[in-house]
Amino acid sequence: MSTYRALTPEDIQVFPEAISTFFERMTRQPARVRTAYMLDQPEAILWNDFNGVIEVSGGFRGSVCFSAPRGLLVEVLSAMGEHEQTDDNFLDVAGEIANILSGRARRHFGESLDIATPVSCQRGDREIPKLAQGPAYAIPHTWGDYEANLVVHLDLIQRR
Amino acid sequence: MMAKLMIVDDSNIIRTHIARLMVDTRLPPIEVVGLASDGNKAVEMARTTRPDYITMDLTMPNMDGEACIEQIAGMLPDAKILVVSALSDKATALRAVTKGAHGFLQKPFTDESMVLSLLELMS
Repeated sequence: MSTYRALTPEDIQVFPEAISTFFERMTRQPARVRTAYMLDQPEAILWNDFNGVIEVSGGFRGSVCFSAPRGLLVEVLSAMGEHEQTDDNFLDVAGEIANILSGRARRHFGESLDIATPVSCQRGDREIPKLAQGPAYAIPHTWGDYEANLVVHLDLIQRR
Repeated sequence: MMAKLMIVDDSNIIRTHIARLMVDTRLPPIEVVGLASDGNKAVEMARTTRPDYITMDLTMPNMDGEACIEQIAGMLPDAKILVVSALSDKATALRAVTKGAHGFLQKPFTDESMVLSLLELMS
């Protein structure tokens, strides 16, 4: 028999660490991780201009979303030496961050974590199905003058 | 003769970022002969450009990196392949090496780590 359990703080920590590492290595300017809080409405998680999303299953269920405003992504591309400031490239950054979240999650939770190919989207282009039943956590990040958000909404299977 | 490099990644910004790093003075002169966004395009590009070195993402549409490594290693046995991926668990790295990869660099990478990984690949 199996049930699902909510994430522990150690589980959640994997994701902001991945985001911090991305900013530090790709832009040489670390992001500041702020205090996580529980969301009242986990459905409304794609609140910024560009979003990178991973959906998981296989003994786990839920999603992890990185959400950033256009201004932040303009600065990220500049810091990376990329002068082509297009929506495609903003989506590309969001998707690459989702890809890194996916890799870190796989390493932390093990290969039984079945992760769909990370996707990126603009606000309003996609709805994230509410797969997890437990609470969703929002983890704000500050980078330069901008704020990005990470929303972790995952349940983990607990075998008995 | 100038060494030839092919860059394979489904992210445009990562492909162009790696290409920009090839002007680093610690690296020997390298010509970027191709930028491929998936495994199918990479195999075709490798056939025509015959690169000496390849940076290879693993998670890509159409044909993934592992299948791509296997095909290119069969076609160009002297080409050296550096996997550049966010998938960093040991099992993934081992599978890539078994299929023909020569090195592994975890994403996100710094400019420094990319240059050093390429230097190691070329040594």
